[in-house]
Amino acid sequence: MARRPLQPLDFTLRHGKAWQRSRLAFLTFSVVLTVGLPLWHLRALDGHSRWSGLASLFPTAAPPFVGAPTSILVWVVELVDPAEALAVAMFRGPSWVLVWTVLPGVALVMLLGRFFCGWACPYLPLLAISNAARWLLRRMGFEPMDRRLPRVTSRVVLVGVLGVGAMLGVQVVPLVYPPAIIGREAFRLVFTGSFGVGALMVLGAFLFDTFVSRAGFCRSFCPGGAMFSVVGTFSPLHVHNERSTCTDCTACHVVCSLGQSPMTNRLDSGCERCGKCVAVCPTKALSWKVTR
Amino acid sequence: MKRRGLIGALAAAIALAAVPRRARASTPRLRPPGALPPGAFEQTCIGCVRCAEVCPTGCISFSSPLSMEQALPFIEPAAKACVLCMKCTQVCPTDALVPLTVDRDVIAREVKMGQPVLERSRCLSWNGDGVCRLCFHVCPYPEQAITLTGPRASPVFHAEACVGCGLCEEACPTLAHAIRIEAPRGP
Repeated sequence: MARRPLQPLDFTLRHGKAWQRSRLAFLTFSVVLTVGLPLWHLRALDGHSRWSGLASLFPTAAPPFVGAPTSILVWVVELVDPAEALAVAMFRGPSWVLVWTVLPGVALVMLLGRFFCGWACPYLPLLAISNAARWLLRRMGFEPMDRRLPRVTSRVVLVGVLGVGAMLGVQVVPLVYPPAIIGREAFRLVFTGSFGVGALMVLGAFLFDTFVSRAGFCRSFCPGGAMFSVVGTFSPLHVHNERSTCTDCTACHVVCSLGQSPMTNRLDSGCERCGKCVAVCPTKALSWKVTR
Repeated sequence: MKRRGLIGALAAAIALAAVPRRARASTPRLRPPGALPPGAFEQTCIGCVRCAEVCPTGCISFSSPLSMEQALPFIEPAAKACVLCMKCTQVCPTDALVPLTVDRDVIAREVKMGQPVLERSRCLSWNGDGVCRLCFHVCPYPEQAITLTGPRASPVFHAEACVGCGLCEEACPTLAHAIRIEAPRGP
Protein backbone atom coordinates (compact mmCIF):
# COMPACT_ATOMS: atom_id res chain seq x y z
CA MET A 1 0.00 0.00 0.00
CA ALA A 2 1.35 3.36 -0.98
CA ARG A 3 1.50 5.54 2.10
CA ARG A 4 1.97 9.22 1.90
CA PRO A 5 5.02 10.36 3.83
CA LEU A 6 3.16 12.98 5.83
CA GLN A 7 -0.20 12.87 7.56
CA PRO A 8 -2.22 15.85 8.84
CA LEU A 9 -1.75 14.96 12.47
CA ASP A 10 2.03 14.57 12.09
CA PHE A 11 2.36 18.31 12.13
CA THR A 12 2.86 20.72 14.92
CA LEU A 13 1.95 24.29 14.17
CA ARG A 14 5.39 25.78 14.69
CA HIS A 15 5.25 29.20 13.13
CA GLY A 16 2.77 32.01 12.92
CA LYS A 17 1.69 31.33 16.48
CA ALA A 18 -0.05 34.68 16.91
CA TRP A 19 -2.11 33.96 13.77
CA GLN A 20 -3.10 30.50 14.96
CA ARG A 21 -3.88 31.69 18.48
CA SER A 22 -6.08 34.51 17.16
CA ARG A 23 -7.80 32.08 14.81
CA LEU A 24 -8.47 29.51 17.51
CA ALA A 25 -9.65 32.20 19.93
CA PHE A 26 -12.04 33.57 17.29
CA LEU A 27 -13.24 30.06 16.42
CA THR A 28 -13.74 29.15 20.07
CA PHE A 29 -15.73 32.34 20.56
CA SER A 30 -17.88 31.51 17.55
CA VAL A 31 -18.56 27.93 18.66
CA VAL A 32 -19.25 28.96 22.26
CA LEU A 33 -21.60 31.64 20.97
CA THR A 34 -23.44 29.15 18.75
CA VAL A 35 -24.19 26.83 21.64
CA GLY A 36 -24.09 29.37 24.47
CA LEU A 37 -26.52 31.92 23.04
CA PRO A 38 -29.56 29.62 23.11
CA LEU A 39 -28.56 28.58 26.64
CA TRP A 40 -28.27 32.21 27.72
CA HIS A 41 -31.63 33.04 26.13
CA LEU A 42 -33.20 30.07 27.88
CA ARG A 43 -31.77 31.35 31.16
CA ALA A 44 -32.94 34.93 30.52
CA LEU A 45 -36.47 33.65 29.88
CA ASP A 46 -36.29 31.36 32.91
CA GLY A 47 -37.24 28.50 30.62
CA HIS A 48 -37.04 24.83 31.34
CA SER A 49 -35.61 22.04 29.25
CA ARG A 50 -33.17 19.18 29.66
CA TRP A 51 -30.39 21.81 29.55
CA SER A 52 -31.72 24.18 32.22
CA GLY A 53 -28.87 23.14 34.52
CA LEU A 54 -26.25 24.16 32.00
CA ALA A 55 -28.21 27.34 31.24
CA SER A 56 -28.09 28.36 34.90
CA LEU A 57 -24.38 29.08 34.44
CA PHE A 58 -25.39 32.15 32.47
CA PRO A 59 -26.52 35.48 33.95
CA THR A 60 -30.23 36.16 34.17
CA ALA A 61 -29.96 39.42 32.24
CA ALA A 62 -30.88 39.23 28.56
CA PRO A 63 -27.80 38.54 26.40
CA PRO A 64 -26.46 41.36 24.21
CA PHE A 65 -26.47 39.06 21.16
CA VAL A 66 -29.42 37.46 19.42
CA GLY A 67 -29.30 34.97 16.60
CA ALA A 68 -27.46 32.14 14.89
CA PRO A 69 -24.02 32.08 13.20
CA THR A 70 -25.37 33.21 9.84
CA SER A 71 -27.41 36.10 11.19
CA ILE A 72 -26.53 37.70 14.45
CA LEU A 73 -27.52 40.88 16.22
CA VAL A 74 -24.61 42.29 18.22
CA TRP A 75 -26.06 45.00 20.42
CA VAL A 76 -27.35 47.21 17.61
CA VAL A 77 -25.21 45.94 14.74
CA GLU A 78 -26.89 43.45 12.39
CA LEU A 79 -24.71 40.88 10.66
CA VAL A 80 -26.28 38.64 8.01
CA ASP A 81 -24.54 36.09 5.82
CA PRO A 82 -24.10 37.41 2.25
CA ALA A 83 -25.42 34.20 0.65
CA GLU A 84 -28.65 34.37 2.66
CA ALA A 85 -29.01 38.11 2.12
CA LEU A 86 -28.52 37.63 -1.63
CA ALA A 87 -31.24 34.96 -1.66
CA VAL A 88 -33.62 37.33 0.15
CA ALA A 89 -32.73 40.22 -2.17
CA MET A 90 -33.52 38.00 -5.18
CA PHE A 91 -37.13 37.82 -4.03
CA ARG A 92 -37.71 41.06 -2.22
CA GLY A 93 -35.38 43.35 -4.11
CA PRO A 94 -32.39 45.01 -2.47
CA SER A 95 -33.41 47.04 0.56
CA TRP A 96 -31.40 49.29 2.85
CA VAL A 97 -32.01 46.90 5.73
CA LEU A 98 -30.29 44.12 3.78
CA VAL A 99 -27.45 46.35 2.59
CA TRP A 100 -26.61 47.47 6.11
CA THR A 101 -26.75 43.97 7.51
CA VAL A 102 -24.34 42.47 4.97
CA LEU A 103 -22.00 45.46 4.70
CA PRO A 104 -19.61 44.67 7.62
CA GLY A 105 -19.23 41.02 6.59
CA VAL A 106 -18.83 41.77 2.90
CA ALA A 107 -16.20 44.45 3.61
CA LEU A 108 -14.22 42.00 5.77
CA VAL A 109 -14.45 39.23 3.16
CA MET A 110 -13.35 41.58 0.37
CA LEU A 111 -10.26 42.37 2.46
CA LEU A 112 -9.53 38.99 4.01
CA GLY A 113 -11.02 36.55 1.49
CA ARG A 114 -12.94 33.50 2.56
CA PHE A 115 -11.69 33.83 6.15
CA PHE A 116 -15.05 33.14 7.82
CA CYS A 117 -14.69 29.50 6.72
CA GLY A 118 -11.39 29.09 8.52
CA TRP A 119 -12.01 31.41 11.45
CA ALA A 120 -15.66 31.24 12.44
CA CYS A 121 -17.60 28.35 10.89
CA PRO A 122 -19.08 26.19 13.68
CA TYR A 123 -18.67 23.19 11.36
CA LEU A 124 -14.86 23.43 11.77
CA PRO A 125 -14.66 21.31 14.95
CA LEU A 126 -16.54 18.56 13.08
CA LEU A 127 -14.19 18.97 10.14
CA ALA A 128 -11.23 18.57 12.51
CA ILE A 129 -12.79 15.34 13.82
CA SER A 130 -13.38 14.21 10.23
CA ASN A 131 -9.71 14.85 9.36
CA ALA A 132 -8.61 12.97 12.48
CA ALA A 133 -10.91 10.10 11.52
CA ARG A 134 -9.37 10.00 8.05
CA TRP A 135 -5.92 9.88 9.63
CA LEU A 136 -7.01 7.05 11.92
CA LEU A 137 -8.54 5.12 9.03
CA ARG A 138 -5.26 5.42 7.17
CA ARG A 139 -3.34 4.24 10.22
CA MET A 140 -5.58 1.20 10.37
CA GLY A 141 -4.91 0.41 6.75
CA PHE A 142 -8.04 1.78 5.05
CA GLU A 143 -7.23 4.46 2.56
CA PRO A 144 -10.25 6.83 2.66
CA MET A 145 -11.39 8.09 -0.72
CA ASP A 146 -10.50 11.64 -1.66
CA ARG A 147 -12.63 12.65 -4.61
CA ARG A 148 -11.73 16.06 -5.97
CA LEU A 149 -14.66 17.61 -7.75
CA PRO A 150 -13.87 20.31 -10.32
CA ARG A 151 -13.43 23.81 -8.92
CA VAL A 152 -16.50 25.11 -10.64
CA THR A 153 -18.76 22.75 -8.63
CA SER A 154 -19.17 25.11 -5.68
CA ARG A 155 -20.27 27.96 -7.97
CA VAL A 156 -22.66 25.65 -9.80
CA VAL A 157 -24.11 24.57 -6.46
CA LEU A 158 -24.49 28.18 -5.29
CA VAL A 159 -26.30 29.16 -8.48
CA GLY A 160 -28.31 25.93 -8.30
CA VAL A 161 -29.38 26.55 -4.70
CA LEU A 162 -30.43 30.12 -5.50
CA GLY A 163 -32.19 28.92 -8.66
CA VAL A 164 -34.08 26.13 -6.91
CA GLY A 165 -35.09 28.61 -4.19
CA ALA A 166 -36.37 31.02 -6.83
CA MET A 167 -38.32 28.20 -8.49
CA LEU A 168 -39.93 27.07 -5.26
CA GLY A 169 -40.37 30.50 -3.68
CA VAL A 170 -38.59 29.32 -0.53
CA GLN A 171 -35.29 30.17 1.09
CA VAL A 172 -33.16 27.09 0.36
CA VAL A 173 -29.78 28.36 1.60
CA PRO A 174 -30.71 27.96 5.31
CA LEU A 175 -31.67 24.34 4.62
CA VAL A 176 -28.30 23.29 3.19
CA TYR A 177 -25.79 25.69 4.77
CA PRO A 178 -24.04 23.98 7.71
CA PRO A 179 -23.54 27.05 9.99
CA ALA A 180 -27.23 27.94 9.59
CA ILE A 181 -28.27 24.34 10.28
CA ILE A 182 -25.93 24.04 13.26
CA GLY A 183 -27.26 27.27 14.75
CA ARG A 184 -30.84 26.11 14.35
CA GLU A 185 -30.16 22.65 15.73
CA ALA A 186 -28.27 24.12 18.70
CA PHE A 187 -31.37 26.21 19.44
CA ARG A 188 -33.64 23.19 19.02
CA LEU A 189 -31.48 21.03 21.27
CA VAL A 190 -31.31 23.65 24.02
CA PHE A 191 -34.98 24.68 23.94
CA THR A 192 -36.70 21.36 23.18
CA GLY A 193 -34.08 18.81 24.15
CA SER A 194 -33.91 17.05 20.79
CA PHE A 195 -32.41 17.42 17.32
CA GLY A 196 -34.34 17.79 14.09
CA VAL A 197 -33.52 16.48 10.65
CA GLY A 198 -30.89 19.21 10.25
CA ALA A 199 -28.59 17.18 12.48
CA LEU A 200 -28.81 14.37 9.94
CA MET A 201 -27.83 16.76 7.16
CA VAL A 202 -24.76 17.87 9.11
CA LEU A 203 -23.99 14.20 9.77
CA GLY A 204 -24.25 13.60 6.03
CA ALA A 205 -21.74 16.36 5.34
CA PHE A 206 -19.45 14.87 8.00
CA LEU A 207 -19.64 11.37 6.49
CA PHE A 208 -19.03 12.78 3.01
CA ASP A 209 -15.97 14.65 4.27
CA THR A 210 -14.69 11.59 6.11
CA PHE A 211 -15.23 8.82 3.57
CA VAL A 212 -15.59 10.42 0.16
CA SER A 213 -13.71 13.69 -0.07
CA ARG A 214 -11.60 15.53 2.47
CA ALA A 215 -13.44 18.74 3.38
CA GLY A 216 -15.37 18.02 0.19
CA PHE A 217 -18.56 19.65 1.45
CA CYS A 218 -16.71 22.88 2.29
CA ARG A 219 -14.88 22.86 -1.04
CA SER A 220 -17.59 21.83 -3.43
CA PHE A 221 -21.06 22.04 -1.90
CA CYS A 222 -21.23 24.79 0.71
CA PRO A 223 -23.24 27.69 -0.79
CA GLY A 224 -21.97 30.13 1.86
CA GLY A 225 -18.35 29.17 1.23
CA ALA A 226 -18.88 29.62 -2.51
CA MET A 227 -20.38 33.05 -1.87
CA PHE A 228 -17.42 34.07 0.31
CA SER A 229 -15.04 32.87 -2.44
CA VAL A 230 -16.82 35.00 -5.01
CA VAL A 231 -16.95 38.09 -2.79
CA GLY A 232 -13.32 37.61 -1.70
CA THR A 233 -11.92 37.01 -5.19
CA PHE A 234 -9.92 40.23 -5.14
CA SER A 235 -8.77 40.04 -1.54
CA PRO A 236 -5.20 41.36 -1.28
CA LEU A 237 -4.18 38.95 1.51
CA HIS A 238 -2.31 35.88 0.27
CA VAL A 239 0.06 33.18 1.39
CA HIS A 240 3.31 33.69 -0.48
CA ASN A 241 5.98 31.04 -1.02
CA GLU A 242 9.58 32.26 -1.09
CA ARG A 243 10.83 29.67 -3.57
CA SER A 244 14.49 30.12 -2.61
CA THR A 245 13.90 28.77 0.93
CA CYS A 246 11.29 26.13 -0.01
CA THR A 247 12.47 22.51 0.12
CA ASP A 248 9.40 21.13 -1.68
CA CYS A 249 8.51 18.98 1.34
CA THR A 250 4.74 19.23 0.55
CA ALA A 251 3.84 19.70 4.23
CA CYS A 252 1.69 22.70 3.29
CA HIS A 253 -0.16 20.66 0.66
CA VAL A 254 -0.94 17.90 3.10
CA VAL A 255 -2.07 20.18 5.91
CA CYS A 256 -4.45 22.19 3.69
CA SER A 257 -8.03 20.93 3.91
CA LEU A 258 -9.21 22.92 0.94
CA GLY A 259 -6.84 21.53 -1.68
CA GLN A 260 -4.86 24.70 -2.15
CA SER A 261 -1.32 24.62 -3.44
CA PRO A 262 0.84 27.03 -1.42
CA MET A 263 4.06 25.23 -2.37
CA THR A 264 3.67 26.13 -6.00
CA ASN A 265 2.13 29.54 -5.23
CA ARG A 266 -1.12 28.40 -6.82
CA LEU A 267 -3.83 29.57 -4.48
CA ASP A 268 -7.28 30.65 -5.51
CA SER A 269 -10.23 32.32 -3.81
CA GLY A 270 -11.00 29.00 -2.09
CA CYS A 271 -8.22 29.71 0.46
CA GLU A 272 -9.81 30.19 3.87
CA ARG A 273 -6.81 32.10 5.32
CA CYS A 274 -6.42 29.62 8.19
CA GLY A 275 -2.63 29.93 7.91
CA LYS A 276 -1.96 26.30 8.80
CA CYS A 277 0.42 26.05 5.83
CA VAL A 278 2.40 29.00 7.15
CA ALA A 279 2.44 27.38 10.57
CA VAL A 280 3.74 23.97 9.44
CA CYS A 281 6.36 25.17 6.96
CA PRO A 282 9.66 23.86 8.38
CA THR A 283 11.83 26.42 6.58
CA LYS A 284 9.57 29.47 6.98
CA ALA A 285 9.32 29.75 3.23
CA LEU A 286 5.64 30.61 3.50
CA SER A 287 4.45 33.97 4.80
CA TRP A 288 1.50 36.33 4.56
CA LYS A 289 1.76 38.95 1.85
CA VAL A 290 -0.49 41.84 1.07
CA THR A 291 -0.43 42.22 -2.69
CA ARG A 292 -2.54 43.95 -5.26
CA MET B 1 -14.93 16.28 -15.32
CA LYS B 2 -17.01 19.33 -16.09
CA ARG B 3 -19.89 17.23 -17.38
CA ARG B 4 -20.06 15.23 -14.16
CA GLY B 5 -20.51 18.41 -12.07
CA LEU B 6 -23.23 19.61 -14.39
CA ILE B 7 -25.06 16.29 -14.30
CA GLY B 8 -24.82 16.27 -10.50
CA ALA B 9 -26.24 19.80 -10.24
CA LEU B 10 -29.05 18.89 -12.63
CA ALA B 11 -29.88 15.76 -10.64
CA ALA B 12 -29.95 17.82 -7.43
CA ALA B 13 -32.25 20.40 -9.04
CA ILE B 14 -34.65 17.69 -10.25
CA ALA B 15 -34.65 15.99 -6.84
CA LEU B 16 -35.41 19.29 -5.11
CA ALA B 17 -38.10 20.17 -7.65
CA ALA B 18 -39.96 17.03 -6.56
CA VAL B 19 -40.26 18.34 -3.00
CA PRO B 20 -42.47 21.45 -3.37
CA ARG B 21 -45.70 19.73 -4.31
CA ARG B 22 -45.71 18.01 -0.95
CA ALA B 23 -44.68 21.18 0.86
CA ARG B 24 -47.48 23.12 -0.80
CA ALA B 25 -50.06 20.44 -0.15
CA SER B 26 -49.42 20.47 3.60
CA THR B 27 -51.80 22.51 5.72
CA PRO B 28 -50.67 26.12 6.17
CA ARG B 29 -49.30 27.02 9.57
CA LEU B 30 -49.74 29.98 11.85
CA ARG B 31 -46.76 32.35 11.56
CA PRO B 32 -45.53 34.68 14.30
CA PRO B 33 -47.30 38.09 14.51
CA GLY B 34 -46.42 40.69 11.91
CA ALA B 35 -45.46 38.01 9.38
CA LEU B 36 -45.60 38.89 5.69
CA PRO B 37 -48.45 37.15 3.82
CA PRO B 38 -47.92 33.49 2.90
CA GLY B 39 -45.68 33.24 -0.11
CA ALA B 40 -43.76 36.41 0.67
CA PHE B 41 -42.95 35.11 4.14
CA GLU B 42 -41.34 31.89 2.84
CA GLN B 43 -39.28 34.00 0.43
CA THR B 44 -37.99 36.32 3.12
CA CYS B 45 -37.42 34.26 6.28
CA ILE B 46 -33.87 32.91 6.58
CA GLY B 47 -34.59 30.65 9.56
CA CYS B 48 -32.20 32.37 11.93
CA VAL B 49 -34.34 31.37 14.97
CA ARG B 50 -34.03 34.82 16.57
CA CYS B 51 -37.82 35.14 16.92
CA ALA B 52 -37.98 31.87 18.82
CA GLU B 53 -34.99 32.79 20.96
CA VAL B 54 -36.62 35.93 22.34
CA CYS B 55 -40.19 34.59 22.63
CA PRO B 56 -41.10 34.66 26.34
CA THR B 57 -43.77 31.98 26.00
CA GLY B 58 -41.71 29.69 23.78
CA CYS B 59 -44.67 29.38 21.42
CA ILE B 60 -42.53 29.70 18.26
CA SER B 61 -41.11 26.41 17.04
CA PHE B 62 -39.57 24.86 13.94
CA SER B 63 -40.66 21.57 12.41
CA SER B 64 -38.11 18.81 12.77
CA PRO B 65 -39.00 16.35 9.98
CA LEU B 66 -37.55 16.73 6.50
CA SER B 67 -39.47 19.42 4.62
CA MET B 68 -39.07 22.84 3.10
CA GLU B 69 -40.73 24.10 6.29
CA GLN B 70 -37.74 23.11 8.35
CA ALA B 71 -36.34 26.61 8.77
CA LEU B 72 -39.68 28.43 9.03
CA PRO B 73 -41.10 29.41 12.44
CA PHE B 74 -44.66 28.49 13.27
CA ILE B 75 -47.05 28.66 16.21
CA GLU B 76 -49.31 25.85 17.37
CA PRO B 77 -51.77 27.68 19.65
CA ALA B 78 -53.35 24.50 21.01
CA ALA B 79 -49.99 23.80 22.64
CA LYS B 80 -48.83 27.36 23.32
CA ALA B 81 -50.30 30.63 22.12
CA CYS B 82 -48.86 34.05 21.36
CA VAL B 83 -49.21 36.81 23.97
CA LEU B 84 -48.62 39.58 21.40
CA CYS B 85 -45.45 40.96 23.02
CA MET B 86 -44.07 41.73 19.52
CA LYS B 87 -40.51 40.93 20.60
CA CYS B 88 -40.06 38.56 17.65
CA THR B 89 -40.95 41.30 15.18
CA GLN B 90 -38.28 43.59 16.61
CA VAL B 91 -35.37 41.15 16.14
CA CYS B 92 -36.17 39.84 12.65
CA PRO B 93 -33.15 40.62 10.42
CA THR B 94 -34.94 40.51 7.06
CA ASP B 95 -38.29 42.02 8.09
CA ALA B 96 -40.10 38.77 7.31
CA LEU B 97 -41.81 39.84 10.54
CA VAL B 98 -42.55 43.52 10.16
CA PRO B 99 -41.40 45.38 13.30
CA LEU B 100 -44.36 46.48 15.45
CA THR B 101 -44.71 48.24 18.77
CA VAL B 102 -46.63 46.74 21.68
CA ASP B 103 -49.68 48.91 21.24
CA ARG B 104 -53.20 47.49 21.32
CA ASP B 105 -54.40 49.60 18.40
CA VAL B 106 -51.31 48.98 16.28
CA ILE B 107 -51.60 45.24 16.90
CA ALA B 108 -55.34 45.26 16.14
CA ARG B 109 -54.60 47.03 12.84
CA GLU B 110 -51.48 45.18 11.69
CA VAL B 111 -51.60 41.66 13.10
CA LYS B 112 -53.67 38.97 11.39
CA MET B 113 -52.21 35.60 12.23
CA GLY B 114 -55.30 33.62 11.31
CA GLN B 115 -59.08 33.26 11.37
CA PRO B 116 -61.05 31.98 14.37
CA VAL B 117 -63.26 29.00 13.54
CA LEU B 118 -65.62 27.73 16.23
CA GLU B 119 -67.03 24.20 16.18
CA ARG B 120 -70.26 24.89 18.10
CA SER B 121 -71.05 21.20 18.65
CA ARG B 122 -67.87 20.88 20.68
CA CYS B 123 -68.14 24.17 22.58
CA LEU B 124 -69.38 23.58 26.15
CA SER B 125 -71.49 26.74 26.23
CA TRP B 126 -73.10 25.99 22.87
CA ASN B 127 -73.78 22.27 23.34
CA GLY B 128 -75.21 22.79 26.83
CA ASP B 129 -72.50 21.08 28.85
CA GLY B 130 -71.53 24.16 30.83
CA VAL B 131 -70.98 27.91 31.01
CA CYS B 132 -67.29 27.96 30.27
CA ARG B 133 -66.44 31.42 28.85
CA LEU B 134 -62.69 30.77 29.16
CA CYS B 135 -62.03 32.03 25.63
CA PHE B 136 -63.74 35.30 26.42
CA HIS B 137 -61.65 35.81 29.52
CA VAL B 138 -58.27 35.20 27.86
CA CYS B 139 -59.06 37.19 24.70
CA PRO B 140 -56.95 40.37 24.44
CA TYR B 141 -59.85 42.00 22.55
CA PRO B 142 -62.96 40.95 24.54
CA GLU B 143 -66.30 42.41 23.40
CA GLN B 144 -64.63 43.06 20.02
CA ALA B 145 -63.24 39.72 18.84
CA ILE B 146 -65.48 37.66 21.12
CA THR B 147 -68.94 38.53 22.39
CA LEU B 148 -71.15 36.39 24.61
CA THR B 149 -74.73 35.61 23.80
CA GLY B 150 -77.68 33.64 25.12
CA PRO B 151 -78.49 32.13 28.54
CA ARG B 152 -75.25 30.15 28.78
CA ALA B 153 -73.04 33.03 27.63
CA SER B 154 -72.06 31.27 24.42
CA PRO B 155 -69.10 32.84 22.57
CA VAL B 156 -69.49 34.40 19.15
CA PHE B 157 -66.25 35.11 17.28
CA HIS B 158 -65.81 38.17 15.08
CA ALA B 159 -63.07 37.46 12.59
CA GLU B 160 -62.68 41.11 11.56
CA ALA B 161 -61.62 42.13 15.10
CA CYS B 162 -59.60 38.97 15.85
CA VAL B 163 -55.79 39.14 15.52
CA GLY B 164 -55.42 35.35 15.65
CA CYS B 165 -53.16 35.13 18.68
CA GLY B 166 -54.70 31.77 19.61
CA LEU B 167 -54.99 32.39 23.35
CA CYS B 168 -58.61 31.16 23.15
CA GLU B 169 -57.52 27.96 21.40
CA GLU B 170 -54.88 27.38 24.07
CA ALA B 171 -57.41 28.04 26.86
CA CYS B 172 -60.27 25.97 25.41
CA PRO B 173 -60.67 23.09 27.89
CA THR B 174 -62.33 20.62 25.53
CA LEU B 175 -59.98 17.89 24.38
CA ALA B 176 -60.67 18.63 20.74
CA HIS B 177 -60.30 22.43 21.14
CA ALA B 178 -63.69 23.71 19.96
CA ILE B 179 -62.11 26.98 18.82
CA ARG B 180 -59.26 26.86 16.31
CA ILE B 181 -57.28 29.54 14.57
CA GLU B 182 -56.95 28.72 10.90
CA ALA B 183 -53.81 29.96 9.17
CA PRO B 184 -54.28 32.05 6.02
CA ARG B 185 -54.04 30.08 2.79
CA GLY B 186 -51.12 30.64 0.41
CA PRO B 187 -51.46 32.54 -2.86
